Amino acid sequence: MKWLRFGFKMLFLLVTMVPFLWLILASFKTNQELFAAPFSLPKRWMIENYEAVLSSHPIPHYFFNSIFIAIVSTLLGVIVATLVSYAFMYTFKFKSGWLLLVTFGIFIPTNAFIVPYYFIVNWLGLYDTLLGVALVYAGVSLPLCVLIVKTYMDSIQHEILEASFIDGASVHRTFFQVILPVSYPGMTTASIFLMITAWNELLFASLLTQSEATRTLQVAIRFFLTTFSANYPVAFAAMVIAIIPTIVIYSLLSEKIIGGLTAGAVK
Amino acid sequence: MLTSRQIYIYLAPALLFTALFFIFPFVFLLYVSMQEWNGIGAMNFVAFDNFRYLLGDPVFKTAMINTVLWILAGILLHTPLGLLMALLLFRKPRGWKLFRVLFFLPNVISTTALAFLWYFVLHVSLGLVNNLFKTVGLESWAHPWLSDPGTAVFANMIPFVLYIGFTMVIFLTQMTTISPDLYEAAEIDGATNIQKDRYITIPMVKSAIAINVIFNTAFCLKMFEYPLLMTGGGPADSSINLSLYIYREMITANRYGISMSAGLMTILMGAAAMLLVFGALGLTERRGKA
Repeated sequence: MKWLRFGFKMLFLLVTMVPFLWLILASFKTNQELFAAPFSLPKRWMIENYEAVLSSHPIPHYFFNSIFIAIVSTLLGVIVATLVSYAFMYTFKFKSGWLLLVTFGIFIPTNAFIVPYYFIVNWLGLYDTLLGVALVYAGVSLPLCVLIVKTYMDSIQHEILEASFIDGASVHRTFFQVILPVSYPGMTTASIFLMITAWNELLFASLLTQSEATRTLQVAIRFFLTTFSANYPVAFAAMVIAIIPTIVIYSLLSEKIIGGLTAGAVK
Repeated sequence: MLTSRQIYIYLAPALLFTALFFIFPFVFLLYVSMQEWNGIGAMNFVAFDNFRYLLGDPVFKTAMINTVLWILAGILLHTPLGLLMALLLFRKPRGWKLFRVLFFLPNVISTTALAFLWYFVLHVSLGLVNNLFKTVGLESWAHPWLSDPGTAVFANMIPFVLYIGFTMVIFLTQMTTISPDLYEAAEIDGATNIQKDRYITIPMVKSAIAINVIFNTAFCLKMFEYPLLMTGGGPADSSINLSLYIYREMITANRYGISMSAGLMTILMGAAAMLLVFGALGLTERRGKA
């Protein structure tokens, strides 16, 4: 029984992981080898495949674009979410109504909004800019982000507010000097969630940009595949380059990342 | 203890974002859905003609059916598989942490990369799957998975169904909150592992089941990358879904009005799906806990 369970887990691991290993292995082969011997090790490890990708595409530039968008959208989203979560520490008129208003978006399939988002970004003069994409990411992720930060702030003892007022601090000072310093864990969790979503997004990135200067890594992967469609191993090398950074960062911070991504769902 | 004006300063940015990215887009979507519009020229009010067009369009019908199939795959395949894996890892066998990290890995990698990876895995001639069948002598099983209208939509779903890390972790997190006393008591009564799962663990993670079903339904409604990149919605539109339909009507066909009426249908379908899910899971029961 124990072996059966172990065997099942290993089989499942195999099914989910072998495609990645196959991809990495194939990225070092020649085109002929890929077709003739799909499972063997490459006869000669073709580093040239990687050189071909790096020399024909401005990969560092795509990386920069993706990182820029991820950072800006994360900052925007987390700042807005933290401010509103602080407001929700108090009681005020229609509080639950306001809360519902800023979080109901979780249930909206935002893909349906491609036409409005396209025009909003155009009207703001941000079409084909990194800022435009970042703004949309922050907006779309805000509801879940609010939920993450607010859930964390709810766990803070509210007496801390009163104590701060008794000491004569204003509402703003209480926010900056009392609440903000103890809210970091919630904000980090929300940041991880926002970063990874922004880094991996494709639809809005391709909708809101068109020039090579603003292309993100995910949009670029689409172009790699068409440029290298005759030479599969080179296309595979391009994909490996695109996913390696994520895997490296994940291997270093896996616990934090797992926590960050699932935080919106686990209350 | 606080004047309302001060609260609204903190509330304002979030309200602005909500207005800009949810309320206004929804109004705009409603407006455009009743127009005939190519995105550049003048709008032409056509009332409900766009919806009439959708109802008569066989491609839209396929997109609706496929989106429902995606949601069903999320609820009936992906979620149970995640629960099963969580149950296996919850017994804390050797190396369970490593398993957890590895199973979650695909959830960190972009869907774009996964879509291309599986495009190649299922590729008719160089694909891993067909080559595997050839190597073990099951050549007749090899199949053009992505270019056969009968299998394309299901082939698109394979990576989603298999990559259960997110769902599994949510189950696992909930399982760790179950009191160990329950299991001790069950052991004294001589319960087997399967009985413990059936009578303690699964009933105690009911709210995690609800959360996973909701998240997976939302995920499937938004699904875009797998159909776009693995099959392009083809062959013969057999694997198109609502997201891709909206996208193609806007980007390829320049029929913004049709695109947005399809968008409205997607939102309504999402609302209907959520109501059904909440209803089925017994919202009242959950409300008592929250």
